[in-house]
Amino acid sequence: MLDPDNAAAADLAVNVSGLTKRFGTRIVVDHLDLDIPRGSVCGFVGPNGAGKTTTIRMLLGLIEPTGGRGTVLGQDLASPQSYLHKVGALIESPAFYPQLSGKDNLLALARLGGIDTTILPTVLDRVGLSQRARDRYRNYSLGMKQRLGIAAALLASPELLILDEPANGLDPAGIVEMRDLIRSLADDGMTIFVSSHLLAEIEHICDRLVMISDGKTVFQGEVAGLRATRGNELVLRPDRASDLASLVALVQQADFDVRVEDAATGIEVAVVEAGIEHAAALNRMAMAADITLIQIFERARSLEEAFFELTGSHSRDVAATHSLGGIR
Amino acid sequence: MMVLDAFRSEWVKLRRPTLSLGVFGGLAAAASFFVVLLFSQAAAVGPGSADLPSLAVLAQPNGLIHGVNRVVVLLGIVAFGIAAFQIASEYSLGTLRQLLVRQPRRAVFLGGKLLGVLSFLLAAVVFASFAAGGVAVVMAHARHVPVGAWFSATGIADLTRALGELLLAVTGFTILGLAVGLLLRSAVFAVIVGFAYLVAVESIVGRVLPATSKWLPGQLLLGVGQGGNATTSFSRALIISVIYLALVAVLTTYAFVRRDVTA
Repeated sequence: MLDPDNAAAADLAVNVSGLTKRFGTRIVVDHLDLDIPRGSVCGFVGPNGAGKTTTIRMLLGLIEPTGGRGTVLGQDLASPQSYLHKVGALIESPAFYPQLSGKDNLLALARLGGIDTTILPTVLDRVGLSQRARDRYRNYSLGMKQRLGIAAALLASPELLILDEPANGLDPAGIVEMRDLIRSLADDGMTIFVSSHLLAEIEHICDRLVMISDGKTVFQGEVAGLRATRGNELVLRPDRASDLASLVALVQQADFDVRVEDAATGIEVAVVEAGIEHAAALNRMAMAADITLIQIFERARSLEEAFFELTGSHSRDVAATHSLGGIR
Repeated sequence: MMVLDAFRSEWVKLRRPTLSLGVFGGLAAAASFFVVLLFSQAAAVGPGSADLPSLAVLAQPNGLIHGVNRVVVLLGIVAFGIAAFQIASEYSLGTLRQLLVRQPRRAVFLGGKLLGVLSFLLAAVVFASFAAGGVAVVMAHARHVPVGAWFSATGIADLTRALGELLLAVTGFTILGLAVGLLLRSAVFAVIVGFAYLVAVESIVGRVLPATSKWLPGQLLLGVGQGGNATTSFSRALIISVIYLALVAVLTTYAFVRRDVTA
């Protein structure tokens, strides 16, 4: 009979616990736990320097963990050669030989991995580079370079695809292209582990999420679950901007958590941690205090807010998120 | 089999026209130029000097060896530089991380890379030797040097032995180049440090402390390439060079296998 623990582990593409990396006295990854179910698209987010790339490099055998154990595709993490033939990876920015064509760059990697080179036209076609395959890599645009990086990751027909910041440096059109590509790969049943700063992107393409901060796991689970645990919030906008401080004080007196936020229009609003069931009562309270609300609506708390709360990070990490938030 | 895969992968990079034409053509041109200088400057009569043999000496069965011996340093330095560049640029380009995901057995990767770079450089040296040999025949004709002795059994045996010694020296310089490139991880830095050591440091140390010359790796490889010289015999140079290179290969491989790849 199958051990339930083993059965559960068998459903995980990555099952790692206590993963630690120390460079000298500096702990970059600190007892990190990772469970990535097979077939899922798992986002990996955290502030700059949180340890995302180091974690990915440890999974890929490029950096030796100081501590921790686990499995990748059912094989021991300590023996990367036992599983890497089923793993594809794009690590940070794509790195290829500038003098070689895109196709020859892939040929060098395929030969190194003992991969049948007849797959090259297929992967080039998959990432939309067939027409430019013979061009030198140095003449590629950034988007084409990223796509060649994905093509390299697909060479091994991987069961697990690890993408480290695949949208880095891409323009909005490139980001949309990358998102579509990742979605189409996920549709094929591949397990995808994707790190990104771009929370809006992660929210779009991932069904699961791992958040880390200072090398530690701060959240791991379903994206929908994270949203559900965070609950909804109410946005209140007074008719007169000068009433905002009074409105905030009123709401606080009623024992709600509230904060002031700049709306997209640049107008300040009060954001109350409460669901729609409290909207009528808050409206009556405001009216009783002679404050007219011209807007009151419920909204789901975004991943971005959860990120802020869980990681304690600040604006430098989400600048890109804001700028890309409108790309849907 | 996996080493062969790594070897074939390396050749995808090495065969690119700019590199292959540059190295094969460059070495052939340099060796040929050297032969032209040798014949054009050689005295018509007398024994000549150690640095510049006369035409009479060049006409002997081992006449061509004089040319081969004098290009050992040049070919060694070129081999060192190309080998150092080939491995160090994997770090500077960031390609190493991609390569090691496809071939996580690092010793296998390194072995395939060494075989690839070495075969490339040996082929280039053989090509340059044949090109220089052809130029030597033309120059000999121009200066009325009889070449019949070169193609006698003795002459061909001497030339083959000299070419073999040259290839051994190039092998040593290639291994040194790969080791320095891998340890320094910067293509430009590795080439500069290597050249400075081989050309300047060993030369200065050898002049200040002559007794050390027969222990310096560059001088020993020079001795191998020249089939022995005033500093050391061929067999001694070969044995000590093999010991040095084996140590370098083991230490370098160990460092490469153990080191985190953060580039």
